[in-house]
Amino acid sequence: MLCSPRALGWLVASLLFATLTGAPDLAHAGDEEKQESHIDLDALRKRLESGKEAEIRAALEEIGNAKDPAAAPVVNELLARGATVGILTEACKTAGKLQALSSSAPLAPYVQHRDQDVRLQAARALLKTKGPVAIRALRRGLRSSDAAVRGISATGLGALGAREAVDDLFIALQRNVSEAAAAIGQVCSPEQCERFAESTTKVPFDIMSTGFDQILFRSPKDMPDAQKLRIVERLQALGTAEVGRYLADVADRWPDDWNSKLKQAIEQAAQSARGK
Amino acid sequence: MQRKLACALGLVCVACGGAATPSAFAPEWQNDGGRSIAAVEQRVGDETLPVGPGIAVGVTDKGLAAATLDGANQWSAELRLDAAPAIAGNVVVATGDGQLSAFDAKTGRSLWSLSSEGKSLVGAGDDGAMTAVTLAASGGGGSVFLAIDRSGSVVRRLTPKLDVGVPAVLAGVAFIPWGNQYVSAIDVQTGEEVGRLLTRTLVSRATGIGGELYFGESALIRFDDAIGRATAGGAHEVTLPERELPGKPRWFASGVEVQRPEASATDKIGLTARPVAENGAVEIAGERFVATYFRVALGLNALDGALRWVRSFPNDIIGTAAAESGFALCDERGTVWLVGAKRGGDAGQVALGSPLRGCVVDAGDVQIRETEDAGSLPQQIRKAVEIQATDMVSIQRFLLRELGTNQDPAITELLIDLAADARTSPALVGDTRKLLAARRNGAEYMLKALERRYDFLSDVLRPPPVGPLADALAAMREQRAAPLLAEQLNEPTLSTDDIQRAAKALVVLATNAEVEDLKTFFSLYRAAAGDEHMVAAVISVARALLNVGGDAALELVRHAANDPLTNPSVKEGISTLLPKTG
Repeated sequence: MLCSPRALGWLVASLLFATLTGAPDLAHAGDEEKQESHIDLDALRKRLESGKEAEIRAALEEIGNAKDPAAAPVVNELLARGATVGILTEACKTAGKLQALSSSAPLAPYVQHRDQDVRLQAARALLKTKGPVAIRALRRGLRSSDAAVRGISATGLGALGAREAVDDLFIALQRNVSEAAAAIGQVCSPEQCERFAESTTKVPFDIMSTGFDQILFRSPKDMPDAQKLRIVERLQALGTAEVGRYLADVADRWPDDWNSKLKQAIEQAAQSARGK
Repeated sequence: MQRKLACALGLVCVACGGAATPSAFAPEWQNDGGRSIAAVEQRVGDETLPVGPGIAVGVTDKGLAAATLDGANQWSAELRLDAAPAIAGNVVVATGDGQLSAFDAKTGRSLWSLSSEGKSLVGAGDDGAMTAVTLAASGGGGSVFLAIDRSGSVVRRLTPKLDVGVPAVLAGVAFIPWGNQYVSAIDVQTGEEVGRLLTRTLVSRATGIGGELYFGESALIRFDDAIGRATAGGAHEVTLPERELPGKPRWFASGVEVQRPEASATDKIGLTARPVAENGAVEIAGERFVATYFRVALGLNALDGALRWVRSFPNDIIGTAAAESGFALCDERGTVWLVGAKRGGDAGQVALGSPLRGCVVDAGDVQIRETEDAGSLPQQIRKAVEIQATDMVSIQRFLLRELGTNQDPAITELLIDLAADARTSPALVGDTRKLLAARRNGAEYMLKALERRYDFLSDVLRPPPVGPLADALAAMREQRAAPLLAEQLNEPTLSTDDIQRAAKALVVLATNAEVEDLKTFFSLYRAAAGDEHMVAAVISVARALLNVGGDAALELVRHAANDPLTNPSVKEGISTLLPKTG
């Protein structure tokens, strides 16, 4: 699987996706459990309240590198009281590295900040801090005038499993927010996944495939095989070479311990689509 | 000798008069207090001028294209015009190709044609038996007056030393304006000046309207039994009310100038009205006059000039006439629009069948009846304001100002729509916002507009005009606006000017319920205020917080005043708001 260029491409994309959504940092896997917290909150607070831009930025960088969620409160305080654009941008990044749920509330307003860097960093951080406040803020971000914020928000809503946002994601997809495709794929119910598949005639397949990929590779507990088979049949009916290549790639990446009959169906569909 | 030579060349008929008799246009004439002109009125005043069928005559690349306004008749004539044609009762007169020609207005049948002596038409009048014509050099000067009977014979030819204006003829007496204040009444048969009118009103034309004879240019004096009192200001005179209108339109062009056959900008900007004898005086028919400005026609009250209706057309209006109950407006594509006087509603159309270079219209005796509702005045104004053309900006700004004087709350809604509409010309958005900020009614519309936020998914891609709305609602002390304005503070698509005005309004309107939104805004921007508007906004929000936010707000603002990160201008501003300690 790792030998095919397409599979390699998917691996790179997955790693990028993981970075954005806060999937476990492979380089530090297990480190957090072993580290003890050496945070001196009072000292950090003092530095962050120093009023000196360089000092504050240095403190934020250290906090971010340490990745200790215990430092979240002082970062949250800084976000709540505000600062210069430069500091805010760093503070949002740091909050994202800390991944503390408590940071979602002070981050949320910054998704609508007038400075683009600030709002982008805030949106990215919310993907990692998670929670209902983050979801609300990202739903608002999906309506933003800033296309980049819309894209990050769509990605975030999918990553955070925001099923309540699926209707908004469908509208976003119609309005060319391409990241909404994958997000829909992550959160759609079987019926909604059918609805997603109907968009194939209106949205370019390379965008739609990011959504199909999410659907087909959702845990069997989360997405019934019967629904996945319906999706495969729909794709087969499209009958294009592009679809055929995609299905062949899906078959290549199919987990060994998943439904082998479904894998067969995917392989046959790939052959059939390529043969047309 | 001179006469024989002229006849031999066939340039004029044998019965022509030749040079003016000594009394006509004599500069040494003494003001007779109106006696002579009164005597002329006694002589011919019972006669009436013929009222034509109502006709539009267009100038095309080939010549003339004409249609009666009832749509029953159409005709055309080929000639290369060198001046605008004239409609005189049942006759159309034109010069072109070296000829002076007359046509039956209804049928286009040629009545006669003479040499134009190398001159161009200034104007014409007709009494059913004779046509009076003034010719001049196209660049001005060299006036020639001709009285021509139906056979085409020149009964009288005059060559005054000065420029004369558009003439009329009635029962053998020609009325010839000159010198801006005189009208000489000339016996066509003898060539003698049998009377002279001296007026204090600018006069350059004698014109027949509705069977009556009028003299004037910017006002009209009726030729009736009061004409003898004209010198003393006692004649029956009608003027249009003074209104400052874009382009400074005139009722009539100067009657002594040759009008070009092609419509110019001044032809597209004009006033049209029909005088009518009423109750012993002269009034304006239908109580309406029209001002045209390219593609827009304004219906104005003849008593006070108040705007009553507005019509927008797809093409520029280049010729107009007033009937008793409506107006005929000829556009450059050859459509003549009939509109009712009272409300400007549609009353039909007539097609001349081709694009036009120029157009003259005479309403004659046509009856115009509105058949379609023209909509409300605000709707009509909106339609005019939506026209996308740079040459329309002046009239559109005028119409917006008119809107602003209307106290109907529905106008507030219209102004909000115009201010927020992407199609509104940028040249008009500033005026619209100013008018909106000055409104003191229509709060419900304002509040509804403030509920709108930029929303990409719902296709709300333009925010409402928050700044002007904030100004107006604060002036109205409309408390319901407070939460809406507080939410709008944190809307990044608003201009910083709008944010500043929303913040200023909140100083007046905010309550404790808005504290969280105010704190959010203050915190986000007290150190990150990007321009002077945002600085002012943050200071206003601080003021609002101190008004309604209690001790927590005081602490927040105090901290910001002491924090080196706070924008220096913000710091300076909020420091003055804090109570002095110690």
